[in-house]
Amino acid sequence: MSTWLGRAWARGILTTRYPAAPAADDEAPETGRPPMPTRPLDELAEAPGSCPTGAIGPAAVDQGKCIRCARCRAAGFALTGPVEASGRRRSELVWPGGRPGATVPEAGLAPLGRSVHVFLVDVGSCNACNLEVLALANPYYDATRLGIFFTNSPRHADVLLVVGVPTEEMVEPVWRAYEAMPAPKAVVAVGACPTSGGVFAGNAGLRPGLDAVLPVDRYVPGCPPPPVAILDAILALIGRGRPRAGEA
Amino acid sequence: MELLGAVLTGAVVAFFLGAALAAVDRRAAYAAAVAGSIGLVVAAVGELVLGPVHGVAWTGPLGEPEALTLDGLSAFFALAAGLVWVATSVYSVYYDDRPTPLLALAYCVTLGSIALLTAASSFLLFLVGWEAMTLGSYGMILQAAGRPPRVFSAAFVFLAFGEGSTLLVVLAVAGLHAAAGTFTILPVAASADLAAFVFLAGLVGFGLKMGIVPFHLTEWLPIAHSSAPSNASAVLSSTLTLAGVYGLFRILSVLPAPPAWWGAVTLSIGALSALLGALFASVSEHTKGLPAYSTIENNGLILVALGVALVARSEDLASLYLFALFAAFYQALAHAVAKTALFLSAGYVEHATRTYDLGAVGGRAKDSAPGAVAAALIAPLSLAAAPPLAGFVSEWMILEALFQSFRFSPPAIEFDGLLAGAAVALAAGLVLVAMVKYIAFSTLWQPSSPGPAERPRGLGTVLGALAVAIVALGVGAPWLLRFLTPAVSAFARTAAVAPVSGLLSIPVGWSIVSGSPFGILSPPAVPVGLAVGALLALGYYALGRRGTSRRVDPWMAGSAPGASGETYSSFGYSAGVRIMFRSVLGTREVRTRRSALAPAGPVPYHVQLEVLDPFRVVYDALRRFGLGTSDSLKEHLMPGILGRYLAYLLAAMLVVIVVVALAI
Amino acid sequence: MTAPSSGRTVRGAARPGARVPAYWAPDGAVALWNDLAAGRSAVESPPASPFPEDVRSAWAVPRFDPRERAVAPRQPVEGYGVFTFPYGPVSMGVPEAGRFDVRTYGERVLELVPRVGYKSRRILASLVGLTPADAGLRVERLAGNFAAAHVSAFLAAAESAAGRAVPSRDAWVRAVAQEVQRIYNHVHVLARLAEAASQNVGLAQAHALAEEMLRVAGATFGHRWMFGALLPGGPVARLGPSDRDRLARTLDRLSEEFESLWEVFQGSRTFVDRIQTTGPVGRDEAEHWGAVGPTLRATGAAWDDRLRVPVVPYDDLFLPVAVESAGDALARLLVRVQEVRSSFLLLEQMLQRWPRAEEAPVDPAPPVGPHRGIGRVESPSGDLVYDVALRDGRVAAVGLRTASDANWPVFAVGMRSQVFTDFHFAWESFGLLFAETDR
Repeated sequence: MSTWLGRAWARGILTTRYPAAPAADDEAPETGRPPMPTRPLDELAEAPGSCPTGAIGPAAVDQGKCIRCARCRAAGFALTGPVEASGRRRSELVWPGGRPGATVPEAGLAPLGRSVHVFLVDVGSCNACNLEVLALANPYYDATRLGIFFTNSPRHADVLLVVGVPTEEMVEPVWRAYEAMPAPKAVVAVGACPTSGGVFAGNAGLRPGLDAVLPVDRYVPGCPPPPVAILDAILALIGRGRPRAGEA
Repeated sequence: MELLGAVLTGAVVAFFLGAALAAVDRRAAYAAAVAGSIGLVVAAVGELVLGPVHGVAWTGPLGEPEALTLDGLSAFFALAAGLVWVATSVYSVYYDDRPTPLLALAYCVTLGSIALLTAASSFLLFLVGWEAMTLGSYGMILQAAGRPPRVFSAAFVFLAFGEGSTLLVVLAVAGLHAAAGTFTILPVAASADLAAFVFLAGLVGFGLKMGIVPFHLTEWLPIAHSSAPSNASAVLSSTLTLAGVYGLFRILSVLPAPPAWWGAVTLSIGALSALLGALFASVSEHTKGLPAYSTIENNGLILVALGVALVARSEDLASLYLFALFAAFYQALAHAVAKTALFLSAGYVEHATRTYDLGAVGGRAKDSAPGAVAAALIAPLSLAAAPPLAGFVSEWMILEALFQSFRFSPPAIEFDGLLAGAAVALAAGLVLVAMVKYIAFSTLWQPSSPGPAERPRGLGTVLGALAVAIVALGVGAPWLLRFLTPAVSAFARTAAVAPVSGLLSIPVGWSIVSGSPFGILSPPAVPVGLAVGALLALGYYALGRRGTSRRVDPWMAGSAPGASGETYSSFGYSAGVRIMFRSVLGTREVRTRRSALAPAGPVPYHVQLEVLDPFRVVYDALRRFGLGTSDSLKEHLMPGILGRYLAYLLAAMLVVIVVVALAI
Repeated sequence: MTAPSSGRTVRGAARPGARVPAYWAPDGAVALWNDLAAGRSAVESPPASPFPEDVRSAWAVPRFDPRERAVAPRQPVEGYGVFTFPYGPVSMGVPEAGRFDVRTYGERVLELVPRVGYKSRRILASLVGLTPADAGLRVERLAGNFAAAHVSAFLAAAESAAGRAVPSRDAWVRAVAQEVQRIYNHVHVLARLAEAASQNVGLAQAHALAEEMLRVAGATFGHRWMFGALLPGGPVARLGPSDRDRLARTLDRLSEEFESLWEVFQGSRTFVDRIQTTGPVGRDEAEHWGAVGPTLRATGAAWDDRLRVPVVPYDDLFLPVAVESAGDALARLLVRVQEVRSSFLLLEQMLQRWPRAEEAPVDPAPPVGPHRGIGRVESPSGDLVYDVALRDGRVAAVGLRTASDANWPVFAVGMRSQVFTDFHFAWESFGLLFAETDR
């Protein structure tokens, strides 16, 4: 016992200051951030062709489709966008000219106050998003300090974190989980897969995105989104997220 | 008073009249039993309120006066028995649909003989009642539905243990007669050795009837395995064992002041019985086997309370002595009522589903009478000591008595009290497992098999009345304890005061107090608190929260409920107990291949998790020894050769001649 | 290198004459095990027949009904009170989509049937027609926390099919990525076991160490899970001389951190008690069912692809193989602990002996016509085999046998007669991923 305490003492405080301070580089490495055009989008003729998921269009970038493969760097993009890229609607992730619009945090779950209980459902992920969500519990992110708790049953959950691209087999189980939650409740699509199908969009037997299955309250882009981005998305649901680009 | 005496006499006569009427009409027999039971209750209440009741008196075959009388002690047991008999007899009118009147006959004989032994003024009459009771209950067990061969063996085991019990009781009575010179029930001044002999013979003899460890086989074999009729089970389990308790109390009431070791022995046996009874109840899968084991646990608790009382008496702890006695009496009363309700509700289930398999009787709540559902819920809860029910009050009192075992001066006995306390606490937990299992899988759980939805008439009302009685016994405990004071006084031969008082702003008389004061409990406060809580919840619901509730499927980790077509089994519910207590229960997994021929695909294993009563092993060894000895005697000494037998005769004659010659 | 064909006749250890269909067969492609059984493959066959016949044929069904598809040997059980207890597909105890059907009479597991297929994303079929580089994006997202192993094996197979030698620098980068991810996964298993045992301080510290390994990956490969970093055109691995020095120092610190953490875990009686004798697998069983990785090595068999299939740079490095003999969850954890040590050791050696010549990773040049190759690496949970067929430089078919595929039967066998409460200890110690089987 004393050994554990001694070790805990010796390690000191590891926890990030996020969201009080902006995300640091080691919390969101290069691919943890959305790709941004380094020049106006219409000057980057090769960019749409370099994108394997079609996230980059001639006039806009759909961050919901981006899998952060970084291939667009050769065509004049840089992965330097804001970590706080989640949006309430799918359309908020489509950035005209490649720049984020006014994605304001919402306070739809105000009755929950300062405490939310989250439940994780995997509907067909590669396991990376699952582990990034679970990483919120580690001392570096320590989601409990922000009033975010993991529950073992949707019966106690306010927020459903869904990871993965919905397969036919998981449509019913995830719907059951949603049904079992008490109101008010919210669904967060974590990562490119539940947002748009990600790299697997178009595979046989997969739903194009989570919004074909459940009403989604927040979309978090990224493949996988770094823990700080997931943290921000949950906080944004209750109006405590970091201020967005384009806001004062 | 003469009137009450006549009522008492009439009650006993009514039972035997009922036995005679059985030949004419079953219903008439049960009606006579109802009348007798009511008469017994009236006489007993009269005794407790007004004083001793004297019925008919006559001169016995040995020239001693015999009479039917009730003093405080016998009035209490007559009251407890009479109360549950009213319910059982009314129930039997609807329940017994057998073609032959034999069940009604045996039933009335059993009840009458228990009434007789309770009201007996002498031990001789007591013995007559005792033996008649054994034979009557043997007759009832033989009436099991279907009469499979093992009914006979189970009934025979019951009879064997019953006669063993009679033998020991006769010894105890003989000891008393040797000391007092009379069979009349009066305090005797026996020597210490003789008193100890009478006590031990009585403890074992009556213990056999109470089904305490290690004689619990006599309790569970006939009731559980022979599937005795439910009204018989109720009588056997709640009042036949009560007769054993009465006998023990009666013997102790006439013996001189006990040494401490009597109490310690009683305490130890009681604690062991409580623990093992609870353990076997929690792993039983039989709708009547489970309550039968629970009876062993309850009788163990009565002995624990009695043990504490005896030790306290020898240590001159007057307050603890009386409190423990009140605990023992209340436990006996609470158990009799709750166990009757439980067996009758098992009979209700049996009536509807024709099965005793706990795993197969689920889902009856919807198509059962409300009274039956109430009894099936409240009786097990009371036995599991849930507040504010009767069993809760009595178990609290017993634990409170045990907590005070620190007052005992011999360290060994103090330690004994400690161990008994631990055993009783563990037993309480195991009984909870058993009773939750009983409730969940026999009444509420979703149906595991579609059974005929038959609603036996009338039975629901009786069960409902018993449920009300259990609640009343719990909530009204402080007042009922005062009502029982004459019984305790009669046993203790001193003016007892009910352990009730008021403390902590609860009105005087509303609380039970142990010690001076050691612990306090106010049973009426519990329903008041429950009512306040329910009102608050209802108020919250009424104030605008209505309409926001949704009905959803249970959460089954994303699967559809019941998708596998199977539900959690009652066996599975208690498998943890089986595995945890494997050293006591002898739990072992038996695997057998279903088929020796391997078809396409894997062959299913048949798996059985078996438990074995450790005492069963001992009895089996004894049985084998007995059979083996008699076999070898038959083979070697009695081979059927005439010459050999003549030789025996000659040898015997020679021995007699030699002995007589030497004597002269 | 042979032309792909569907449904070869199995010879050797398997039942003679039985026709085994391909894993999936859109255009009549590969049957890896046919070739392995026939001894025609470039690599050695695994220790024993990895799957019983019926399970193998179940793989051929392209769409799976989760209720029907079993990946483990069945042992039907019946008896009084025996019932099926479904666990999953949504539970926080196993944060992946998959279900277990537990046959039990309560408390004790009589038969455990893992139900896979809930998150089947039909990845293998979707790879056909893609270039290896584009297919790689999907392969690494097949099982995210084993991405380095998967993409390395896939690329090795593709390169072998294309007839190209693995570019030397790529091989070294892949090795570093694999070892970093191996350490992450093993520490993650330690954290999950600590969580199951309610060792909350230990959980927090193991969790923190796992996070630090992710940050090492993020800083070195530009991605916490190394997605894209081993593929052409993705984030460039920062392994220049100064990066290597910094990485070596960080790893040194983390290695010490791990040692002191493990020392405390080792001394925790409550922790060791819970995993000792939990989920036991004998060596006979392990070899019979074809176990791989730490599961196999915990039963005493010293099989490690990094030694048995020597490729650059493992052929020239010192690697002590971790072997335990008890076969229980503790033995599997001890194997993982020793492998964390050996991975740190390997990383140290690699960073010291980094090859001079720096080449940029390139897309394998597409040869004309059909070719196939096999890539095989030791993933954190064990032997991982890719069998890739290329036609005109594009993927024509992919066959795959993951460590989880191989270990499902062993897990199911190891869980028999265990009590429910030991489930998570056994589950975590095997390191199985539904994602690896539902592809």
